[in-house]
Amino acid sequence: MKQGRHFVAVALVAAALIGATALFNNDYYLRIVFMMCVYYLCAAGMNVLVGYAGQKSLGQAGLFAAGAYAAALLTTRTEMSPWLALVLAAGISGVCGVLIALPSLRVKGPYLAMVTLAFGIVVEKLVGEWTDVFGGAQGIYGIKPLTWNGQPFTSVQWVWFGIVLCAAAHLLLRNLICSRFGRALLSLQADEIASSSVGVRVYRAKVIAFVVAAVTCGIAGALVAQQNQYINSDFITFHLSIFILLLVLFGGAGSMYGPLVGTVILTLVDALLARWPSAQHFLYGFLLLFALYVMPGGIMGLVSQWFQKAKKAGLAAGGSAAPTRIGPDGSGELLVVQGVSKSYGGVKPAQDVSFRLQRGHIHALIGPNGAGKSTMINMLTGVVDPDQGSIRFLGQEIVGRQVHTICCLGMGRTFQNLRLFADLSVLDNVMLGRHSRMSNGFFSSLLSLPQARRQEVATRERAIQLLDLVGLSHLAHQPAGSLPYGLQRRVELARALATEPQLLLLDEPAAGLNPQETAELGQLLVRIGKCGVSILMVEHHMDLVMSISDHVIVLDYGIKIAEGKPAEVQANPRVIAAYLGVDDDAVAAT
Amino acid sequence: MTEALLQAIISGLAVGGAYALVALGFSITFTTTKTLNFSHGEFVSAGAFIGMSALFLVLGKPVSSTTFGDAIPGAGAQLLALVAALGAMGLLGWLLYAIGVRPFAGRPGMAWVMSTLGFGVILQSIGLAIWGPKPVVVPAPVGDAVIRFLGVGVRPQELLTLGVTVAIMLVFDRVMNHTMVGKAMRAVAANGSVASLMGINTNAVMIGAFVVSSALAGLSGFLLAPIAQASLFMGLTVGLKGFSGAMIGGLSNPRGCVIGGFVLGVFESMVNLWQAQWREVAVFALVILVLAFRPTGLFGKKMVEKV
Repeated sequence: MKQGRHFVAVALVAAALIGATALFNNDYYLRIVFMMCVYYLCAAGMNVLVGYAGQKSLGQAGLFAAGAYAAALLTTRTEMSPWLALVLAAGISGVCGVLIALPSLRVKGPYLAMVTLAFGIVVEKLVGEWTDVFGGAQGIYGIKPLTWNGQPFTSVQWVWFGIVLCAAAHLLLRNLICSRFGRALLSLQADEIASSSVGVRVYRAKVIAFVVAAVTCGIAGALVAQQNQYINSDFITFHLSIFILLLVLFGGAGSMYGPLVGTVILTLVDALLARWPSAQHFLYGFLLLFALYVMPGGIMGLVSQWFQKAKKAGLAAGGSAAPTRIGPDGSGELLVVQGVSKSYGGVKPAQDVSFRLQRGHIHALIGPNGAGKSTMINMLTGVVDPDQGSIRFLGQEIVGRQVHTICCLGMGRTFQNLRLFADLSVLDNVMLGRHSRMSNGFFSSLLSLPQARRQEVATRERAIQLLDLVGLSHLAHQPAGSLPYGLQRRVELARALATEPQLLLLDEPAAGLNPQETAELGQLLVRIGKCGVSILMVEHHMDLVMSISDHVIVLDYGIKIAEGKPAEVQANPRVIAAYLGVDDDAVAAT
Repeated sequence: MTEALLQAIISGLAVGGAYALVALGFSITFTTTKTLNFSHGEFVSAGAFIGMSALFLVLGKPVSSTTFGDAIPGAGAQLLALVAALGAMGLLGWLLYAIGVRPFAGRPGMAWVMSTLGFGVILQSIGLAIWGPKPVVVPAPVGDAVIRFLGVGVRPQELLTLGVTVAIMLVFDRVMNHTMVGKAMRAVAANGSVASLMGINTNAVMIGAFVVSSALAGLSGFLLAPIAQASLFMGLTVGLKGFSGAMIGGLSNPRGCVIGGFVLGVFESMVNLWQAQWREVAVFALVILVLAFRPTGLFGKKMVEKV
């Protein structure tokens, strides 16, 4: 069992470190090791936020302060046990993490980075200036340290405790990152819209990442306060926030051991330069400015470039290419669109459009450029809200529902301009599709409970089956972005199928494919239709549309001008007029 | 009570002017390059200290002195210092763009956040090595005699800050909307690659954006120094509040940014009147509130992502 081996290895390393620290009797060295543990805790959580979720937080000092001051106030103002205070401090910083994550509901990118920066500064000002509670520069004395058998920890015991915490943090976060949550975080870093279209609850995933980073940072802060038995506002500076960020970026954001490498090196450098604070800051600034330029993946990025291991080639072909069942059989109305309108100023991509989609059919939505086809797909999947009208899917009204909810109901989609998670492997892309069908929760993933592991195995098998279906199983471990365009389209199709859709929306699936590939795609779509998936595709290749669809809907300037069997539609004079224009004489004649 | 209120409004407007300059700087780089200078605050401090060093040099003191003593620089010296500050800050802006922004702009991952942040940290540590952490009292170019009217005392420097800010805004607005340079900048902002196809040198426009933005930050610091003392740490909060002003007004709209800066200055000054320690918290609470209801600011355009 791979997981078991890793656990034993980490336990052995931790034990060896504990043994080694028992040997050296120098308080200064012990202090450095302790600070490494503290910073590693910060960095490990921060890596989840920065490296995996791709959110820049520039205010970790604020969360560090939340933990430190929570522990300080709880143990000095009440008779609380220091152990309980440590746990509560972690909880309180977690709550602060939620507070920082709240703006991420509305703002993104640089705005959010600036909001986190502001949070750090506000906390810094608050602990510095609100002296009645936080003691300002004078600080809070007499914080109760952690105890063992009624005795306060000795320096060596503090280090041991730190090492144990770090090992635990590493194991837990590794579980989390290797689970569906880790994949979901990576996906939202790459493309939030695609991520929610495969059923990832983007906002919730971001909050989880912020809380993870907040809790580890809070524990680190509480440890420092309890070990020093003293905390003041000088601990909480903007430079601390930068240092924590740098630990991750320098070591290698998004790699499992990056934070460890960054922490060990930078803590040592920090200790060596402690006498010259301005040189320290200069170095951090310098690293921030140039490290990313020279090594975008941090030290671990460089190392893995040197030791690029030969990737496992191919998988054991997943057995039969027999069509796998995806959706239920049956017939009847799957989706009912009634009187839907949408306008962007003067442009009206949908005016009072109504149509019905039948279960088990392949429907096509066609129309000249600008007819409002993509907008229709976006309204059906919840990316765009219609101004008016109702959309009922499986008997439920879905207007105003969120993208991931609609996906969970059983509607999958692909995009006109491919939205694959380019850095993730083909297999991971498809496994992400099944995110919403996995039932293992956060804590079950964090602790890697048997249920979570079973789900993971099942998802992997399913993904390989689907890759077989689209004929890509030999490329499963390649990064999706490295595939040729035509194959990327198929990966996206497999990803959409992994969401177990009853209705599959395809936005120009044949765009950019040559005639040979288009014909293959047609066969594939028919095969998919036989698996119990109904299809609505937007397409310009008329041969494809006419050869495989059961029912065609034609839009022109947001108005439905015709629908019916392919042959009927082809003969419809309004359709011909929309595509080819009308002869003035012909108009006069009619 | 009314006097205190009026007083707060006037000093709020003066500080708000400094915020508005910073906010405008953010807006300029954001619209043209889609990047922000995360060390804009340090640039404000740098402007104050470069102006101050120029004054020291004119007075024949060493650059690294930390007090003016009794020496009062004349109007000529102040003007020279202003020119030096603006020029040096423009150069710094160009340098920042060349090494911190251009290699990363337009690429995913926002690496420019880190590099601009790092640039600021370097600036600050150089400043600390020369002057140390203590703030320096800088004499005002227009004297320190308090002007009284309606029972309110106003420092001339506050009036000067307000006046200069308003003048700069008017000039900027005129340039953006009525000259070829302004048109080129707006074209690059709207679509850089199309602009370059039309023969506009987008690189030059982007450099220009950073130069102007940094010079504005420097001007803001230069004007603030006599009001609040020059300190290497003054910039961080000024920068943040400038950004907050820009967020309130809408980063994509220069006029909105200016209004946002003034609103924020007055608001802060009002809260200060009531409870000083809640000042920062109230300011950022206001920003979050605005973002919650209008994510692109009060005057910003709604952004739609094409799917």
